[in-house]
Amino acid sequence: MASSGTAVSLSNVRKTYRIGEPVHALDGVSLEVPRGSYTAIMGPSGSGKSTLMNLVGCLDTPTEGTVVVGGQDVGTLGDRERTRLRGTEVGFVFQTFNLMPRLNAVENVALPQLFQGVGRAERLERARDLLERVGLGDRTDHMPNELSGGQRQRVALARALVNDPAIVLADEPSGNLDTDTEADILDLFDEFHAGGTTMLVVTHERHVAERADRIVHLLDGRIERIEELNGASGSQPGTPAGQEPGGSDE
Amino acid sequence: MNPLESLRLAWRSIRGHRLRSALTTLGIVIGIAAVIAFVTLGASLQAGVIGDISPDDQRNLYGWAAEPNTEGGPLAGAQPVFTQDDLDAVEDREDIDAAYGYATLQTQAISNGEETVAQGSGLIASGPSYIREERIAEGRQFEMGAREAVLNPAAANQFEENVSVGENLTVTMLGGQRMDVEVVGITDNSEGLSPFEGFESSPRVYVPTNPYYTEQASMLGIGGGGGGGAGNQSLAGGEARFLAIIIEAESADQTDIDAARESATDYLESDAADASELLDDDLEVQLQTSTELLGQLQDVLNLLQNFIVGIAAISLLVGSIGIANIMLVSVTERTREIGIMKAVGAQNRDVLGLFLTESVILGVIGAILGTGLGLVGGYLGAQYIDLPLVYPLEYVALAIIVGMVVGILAGLYPAWRAARTDPIDALRYE
Ligand SMILES: Nc1ncnc2c1ncn2[C@@H]1O[C@H](COP(=O)(O)OP(=O)(O)O)[C@@H](O)[C@H]1O
Ligand SMILES: [Mg+2]
Repeated sequence: MASSGTAVSLSNVRKTYRIGEPVHALDGVSLEVPRGSYTAIMGPSGSGKSTLMNLVGCLDTPTEGTVVVGGQDVGTLGDRERTRLRGTEVGFVFQTFNLMPRLNAVENVALPQLFQGVGRAERLERARDLLERVGLGDRTDHMPNELSGGQRQRVALARALVNDPAIVLADEPSGNLDTDTEADILDLFDEFHAGGTTMLVVTHERHVAERADRIVHLLDGRIERIEELNGASGSQPGTPAGQEPGGSDE
Repeated sequence: MNPLESLRLAWRSIRGHRLRSALTTLGIVIGIAAVIAFVTLGASLQAGVIGDISPDDQRNLYGWAAEPNTEGGPLAGAQPVFTQDDLDAVEDREDIDAAYGYATLQTQAISNGEETVAQGSGLIASGPSYIREERIAEGRQFEMGAREAVLNPAAANQFEENVSVGENLTVTMLGGQRMDVEVVGITDNSEGLSPFEGFESSPRVYVPTNPYYTEQASMLGIGGGGGGGAGNQSLAGGEARFLAIIIEAESADQTDIDAARESATDYLESDAADASELLDDDLEVQLQTSTELLGQLQDVLNLLQNFIVGIAAISLLVGSIGIANIMLVSVTERTREIGIMKAVGAQNRDVLGLFLTESVILGVIGAILGTGLGLVGGYLGAQYIDLPLVYPLEYVALAIIVGMVVGILAGLYPAWRAARTDPIDALRYE
């Protein structure tokens, strides 16, 4: 099941931090992320990758422009609705895993559904199911400190998927992993992507980015260029809306 | 988020820091324990003392003459002013069933035939109705003017062969004189009959004031003009004066008691009374029921109670500051966890509820431990002074509520801080 419509779209997004000199962390970014797509974001440090992820992840609101996630304009939402949107439409995978240290694997995976008011039995059943699918069916009751880095990241991936989000955001997901476990995690990403999950992955590593359908190159808060890769799906409907390489200043 | 889930998560993190949590609750534990222990003791004391007052005692007014506002309970600062004539006159008045003197006669020993036992607590001299009918297990009340006595079981059983009704005893007074008494009754138990005696159990011998007190008084020269020098009093004059009197109202109803009190006071302060010669500005007649007398004890208890409650309040304040402090530390420590929860969809109120639940649990645990400790303390105290144990259960409920309130107040600010944590900053937090 491939795409139908847009998971996330950004148009002319600007994020400005004012600490003395205004810093444009993002400076007029427009991007469509179609449902079912797999996008990598690359760029040097300070180019605005994390800022972009925070906006798409409904953790932050743009200074200018619009960010639409799961059909809703994030900038117009109040804190409560934005949190609900984040909980249901977005799944995060972090470089440092960010599991709750006092919850075991299955409880960590079930955590997002706790805040959606899903009953305990139902929650845990779904969490076990997902742990099974990421290959941790025999580790459900382990605490995070009893798991290896790769296993923790798999728990985190299962947690990101538990609410059936419109998009999974991964910020340097393999940054803390060795080569073998990195490959395992990326294989899982591929597997879920093949199953229809929309992926947005920030990475420094070319070989990680090459798993995606396309690579968005960021530089100084702007999209420098978008590189289409000839993955399994040859054509991508959602090409950049607006920005061309070296596009005009707006 | 479902409160049960908050409870589960909060409990998890409290258990993650057992020692810290235990120390945090210490202030609450001490505060609550102090209050519960004291309240238990107070309730036991009350039950132990007031519980012994029989309903029939409630119509008795215990009287003496003392300076107004003398503190110290029954007979404090009392002077012997009342004559038998006064009491006879009072007894004849309306609203009064009986009036008689009360005195303790000092003794050395009591002999039953060959056998002699020491009797340090003396003879209790009063009127016949002092020993209520229903308290007599065997025989009858003594009669005024007769050489008769009623014993309580403790007094009757102190001889090798228990004394029974109809036997004669010889009492050796403190001064060495011997007097014969005929046992005419035995009471049903050995507890005291009035606040003049005290309510504790001990061997007691009850006799009529006439002849026992009148003889003794004339010998020792109690009463008369100045109540002073020995031998200035003749038996024939009947002018022995009583330190203590008992006046019985028609019933235990407050109106009847007040009527009796007024009637007796009116007479005793009037010129017709012998007592009035000795009553002046410095000496006035006090007439009080057992309950009223114990009310003074109650006042002292209440004062102490307020003191303890004050200390407990300070302890609770310190305890809640302790909880607030630990909760603040905990919020800072778990900044990253808060960030994670918010990233996966926790609302501000979920985070607020979680931390508030945690501090309420700490408060309630403190209250429960404090209550337990306090009840044990109260129990040991009551055992020590030999009181019946009464657990003030409404205070246990109150203590738990106080623990909750302290938890809420202490947790409010830290929880609010946690709730408004920015998830982006929190996730960056190392
Ligand atoms: N909270 C902030 N306050 C001020 N400046 C910020 C803040 N977050 C990011 N920036 C600035 O925005 C720019 C982009 O940052 P970021 O998105 O973190 O880049 P990247 O993740 O690509 O390294 C940087 O210059 C950074 O200093
Ligand atoms: Mg970054």
